[in-house]
Amino acid sequence: MRTKIGRSLVVLAVLSVAMLIAPAAVSYPTGVNGVAQTGCNCHGAVANSDVAPSISGLPDQYNYSEEYEIVVSFTGGPANAANSNQGGFNLWVSDGELAPIDATAQAYGANEASHTEAGNDQTSWTLTWTAPSGDRNVEFILHVNSVNGNEDGNNGGSSGDLWNKLSAKVSPPILVLEEADPFVVLSTLIVVSAVLLIITLTYVFYRTNPESFTWEHFAPWISEWLTSTDHKKIGTLYFVAGMFFLGVGGIMAMMIRIQLAVPGNDFLTQDQYNQFFTLHGTTMIFLAAMPLINGFANWMVPLQIGAPDLALPRINAMSFWLQPVAALLIFTGVFSGSGADTGWTGYAPYVVSETAHLGTTMWVAGQIMLVASSTLTGINFLTTIAVMRAPGMGWLQMPLFTWSILIANLMLFLSIPAFGVGLIQVYLDRVIGTAFYDVSAGGDPLLWSHLFWYFGHPEVYVVIVPAFGVISEVIATSARRSIFGYRSMVYAMAGIGVVSFIVYGHHMFTSGMSPTLRFVTMLTTMLVAVPTGIKIFNWLKTMHGGSLVYRTHTLWTLGFLVTFTLGGISGMFFPSIAMDLHLHESYFVVAHFHYVLVGGTVFGFYAAIYYWWPKMTGRMMDERLGVIHFLTGFISYNALFWPMHRLGVWGMARRHHTYFVTTEEAMGALPMEAAGWNMFVSVSAFLFFFSNFFLIANMIKTVIRGEKAPADPWGGWSFEWMTASPPPTPSFDPHNLPELKDANEHIANEPGTLGKLFNRLMMSEDEEVAH
Amino acid sequence: MSSYDDHHPSGWGPHDWGHGAPHNSWSPLIMSIGIGVFLFSVAGVYEWGEFIDASYIGVSIAGLAIIFIGLTVWWRQDYTFDGGYEPRSMGTPFRGIEVRKVAVWVFLMSEMMVFTSLFSTYMRYRFGIESCESVFMSGEWVEGSSVTCFEPAGHLIASSWFHLAPGAINTFALIISSFTIVQALRYAGMLDIDEDRRRKLVTRYLGTTWFLAVLFLTLKMIEWFLGFPLPEFLHEYNHGDSTIKSLYAEGYLINADSYQHKYYNTDYVASHGHGLDHESALYLMMEEGTHSGGQMMANIRVSASTFYVTTGTHGAHVLGGIIGLTYMTYKASRGGYTPDNAVSIEYFGLYWHFVDLVWVIVFPFFYLY
Amino acid sequence: MAHYTIMGRDPYWMNFYGLMILTLIEVLAVGYDLPEEKIFIFSNYTLMILTVIAIPKFIMIGMIFMHLYGSPDSGILTVTALFPAFFIIIMVLFIGLTHPEATTGLPEWCRPGYYNI
Repeated sequence: MRTKIGRSLVVLAVLSVAMLIAPAAVSYPTGVNGVAQTGCNCHGAVANSDVAPSISGLPDQYNYSEEYEIVVSFTGGPANAANSNQGGFNLWVSDGELAPIDATAQAYGANEASHTEAGNDQTSWTLTWTAPSGDRNVEFILHVNSVNGNEDGNNGGSSGDLWNKLSAKVSPPILVLEEADPFVVLSTLIVVSAVLLIITLTYVFYRTNPESFTWEHFAPWISEWLTSTDHKKIGTLYFVAGMFFLGVGGIMAMMIRIQLAVPGNDFLTQDQYNQFFTLHGTTMIFLAAMPLINGFANWMVPLQIGAPDLALPRINAMSFWLQPVAALLIFTGVFSGSGADTGWTGYAPYVVSETAHLGTTMWVAGQIMLVASSTLTGINFLTTIAVMRAPGMGWLQMPLFTWSILIANLMLFLSIPAFGVGLIQVYLDRVIGTAFYDVSAGGDPLLWSHLFWYFGHPEVYVVIVPAFGVISEVIATSARRSIFGYRSMVYAMAGIGVVSFIVYGHHMFTSGMSPTLRFVTMLTTMLVAVPTGIKIFNWLKTMHGGSLVYRTHTLWTLGFLVTFTLGGISGMFFPSIAMDLHLHESYFVVAHFHYVLVGGTVFGFYAAIYYWWPKMTGRMMDERLGVIHFLTGFISYNALFWPMHRLGVWGMARRHHTYFVTTEEAMGALPMEAAGWNMFVSVSAFLFFFSNFFLIANMIKTVIRGEKAPADPWGGWSFEWMTASPPPTPSFDPHNLPELKDANEHIANEPGTLGKLFNRLMMSEDEEVAH
Repeated sequence: MSSYDDHHPSGWGPHDWGHGAPHNSWSPLIMSIGIGVFLFSVAGVYEWGEFIDASYIGVSIAGLAIIFIGLTVWWRQDYTFDGGYEPRSMGTPFRGIEVRKVAVWVFLMSEMMVFTSLFSTYMRYRFGIESCESVFMSGEWVEGSSVTCFEPAGHLIASSWFHLAPGAINTFALIISSFTIVQALRYAGMLDIDEDRRRKLVTRYLGTTWFLAVLFLTLKMIEWFLGFPLPEFLHEYNHGDSTIKSLYAEGYLINADSYQHKYYNTDYVASHGHGLDHESALYLMMEEGTHSGGQMMANIRVSASTFYVTTGTHGAHVLGGIIGLTYMTYKASRGGYTPDNAVSIEYFGLYWHFVDLVWVIVFPFFYLY
Repeated sequence: MAHYTIMGRDPYWMNFYGLMILTLIEVLAVGYDLPEEKIFIFSNYTLMILTVIAIPKFIMIGMIFMHLYGSPDSGILTVTALFPAFFIIIMVLFIGLTHPEATTGLPEWCRPGYYNI
């Protein structure tokens, strides 16, 4: 039994390693270092030290824009004057300009030079190199072939030939620091984070039982996690994955902010910038926000409705495990330096064009898996909530978090097939060459926008609505009274859910779609403010007359109310078509959706972490660290995103890798202050990023030696607080389910209009017995 | 019932259903990895329709094999399911219905959205791009340069009885298979027959369903790629051709950017069938001598893509059904279905009827219209 | 499991016969040359026959084979099956039946360049 597990672990490890290596090794020949370093058409497989290449004429330090004559040569190897061909070279330079002097050499662009046909019978070649006009560390890379000129020599036959490589460095007049390749930085940070995560998890294992820190105990422990179908374990897995990718997405955001800190920066090239913001968006939405939501949903929904587990536990495990594999596919591009560069929206026709990076195919493939995962999650939660509520718990007795998960999954579940079909069309376009989005064949790029946003708009509500649920739970518990206007809360969420399918066209006002549809979506979008306003009003009214207890989760909730309302107000500018045409693709949009996604979803889930951590781990969190986290996070967050509104109104374009400021009053020019504000935003971004380390520290600290949590530390009254902290498995005994008793039993059990309709349609009680 | 504490179910082996859920499983992890490997490597074999690297074919097959291993683990755990553990819904509105039946219906909702998306794509292109027939008749083309137009597959398929044959037989095959699966359900749940007879009947009906599903895909391959030789005496009814031409042979392909068909050749149309419509713009232009006629060339990549992908998605669902039916037929042949767990056949049956329903729409709108 | 009969016969068999006949009519309708005239909203007779026949086929399979009729759970499952109807209609209307026409679909006074009020 144990050896079986061991064997399977080895197989899995080998497979994962193969998955990691394969893309870098074969799929993308450019590799992390780019084309330059491997650009040699070398004769033979490995370099040979008999061949000695050299570059002469290079200074140690160059002068700006000066022209240097350099001689590239080699000695040794089979080359000798009697051969018909003697050798060849390839010289690559990171900066400046290469130019040939005579007919023996030729340049490919400014950065690369090689020998010509005529230069084939030489062993040395002369070139000029014009130094760059700025301060750069310049690197030269030279490959040479020493050719024996045998029979097939002219036609590329290379048997018996040898080659070698040389690199040289030239410094600028003023010494500058070595520039880092952003991809190397990112990959390193991802790997470091992953290693830290593994170390932390191993440490957790060690702490659970220090004496038994052996492989014999570790194997069943890890295989339990890999195979578990328990909703709490899968919830934890989701949570860990979500937090990890929140970090990865954050690292990418920081690199974007480094790039944008000063005007005209070139830390990221255009190409790299495209990939960074694409992967930042994809990671944050699909790999951070959704898993975090699913983590809490997995944990809390069965506990809140009094179910022993989800309806389909193994399907639940399936929906989790699709995600890390999908993440690997999405990130293959990053590890090879040619990730998706299409934006998280992946607009056609660029997404199916050959100019979009190869990594885009893998990005699409990963997304297809995420679609499958979300569909399975949807089936599971909809079924669970519909059929497994404990006796006495009608629809309108469910806790609001469960309601929010129900609405979110309903939206996600019904909209994501459109995205899935669109992705499959793109995948097939890119792989087998169908023509769904090929404009030259009559394909309609707008179709992709429609399919994407039919899913995409419900999707942004999918990530915010669960936060509404969390806030409702926290505010009711903290104010020590039941939520104000429970029914209106439920109807408001359901209203948002239905309307979200009609409003999606507001993302496409500038795309040239049908004017009638534009009008319809404009009106319905404005309608969304109504249910959202009802919710905000209800939260405020819940606090009014309550007696608020200021714990960390309460603070985050209050923070949510402020930031989400601000985000909602800036959102009301966009439904108006005329206003939208002006603000489209500007930082105003960036500010708006970060205000609702970070200030809404992330703050909501920070509140959830502090609120449910005692339930999930059985340990209380450190309140002092929590308050520090809230204060630093809330202030730096506002300093980070508030100025973006202003930048957007000034006309700073989103998705552009850099910007320029000017004193002139020209169209489209940013004023000088924009540079200062951008620096301010970048500094705040780093502060916000690092403020989250308080949370991580808090988590690690409390798991190891936190105070033991009671079953109900906050005085909550929904079912999850009736279980022990942490809850047993199965969460409730399936043969002895809890029963919800309502003080107003008569009112609670009186069916409404819908209830009466359902009662007519439902199986009658006696039939159930006879079944 | 707190035997959960000492119950450590294997992630591989048959599940002990007496303990209910949850039980551990390696299957989700394995299947996920398999799907990832498959999607990754398929993109290595082809790129924009061009064959790139044969070495990835092996990896794709390995991916499929991994998925299959995962599936086997899944089935192995389910194999012992005898109906002893079948949770039922509580509360409004599904009270008393099996939980998994509700789950299948919820799943079908998402399937409806999948096919609606495909149909929306089809409608957008069908109504948005002018059809090849009307472009041809309008005379707005010249011989030798390609025009973009929509060529419905139905135009080819419905043009002759022989072309229609595979699709028509398939329609009957699916409807019969829908019938056989409910028969299997009926006999599995029938209380007043003895065990051996039940086993035989259920196996026979599930086996027939399996066979019909395989027939469906076979005929689809014939229709798409293989074609079919006709016996001698039928040649004269098939315009003298000796085979039923496949869509591939007709040139109806996703990369057909210069599709040439005899229907869009003025000479062929003049010598066969009704000839050119005398009121059409093309006829008038040719009479005036402003159009020289000849062969129209068309870029029909979009129409072919919609046709192959929509019917292909349906075909993939049939393939999924075949895979499920293989397991079920095996289980039935070992007497695995009894009145206690007959409802398992109903779960699959709902999916299978849904696939049939989709065909009821796909067939007229992609094959006939 | 069916607990009822159609005309005194087994419903599965009756449904099966019915579907066979309807499909046969469909195939025949395509095979024969019917008048190519516009009728009602359909572009020709063949399409009309196909659409009209698809509806009863749909209902027959749904009701009898998928047990949306005659079982104790039929009522609520029918509602479940019809639940996505709204979202399907939205998708077909918004995605299937709209076209990019922003440049041509607006009235003259609503387009750029119309400044002489």
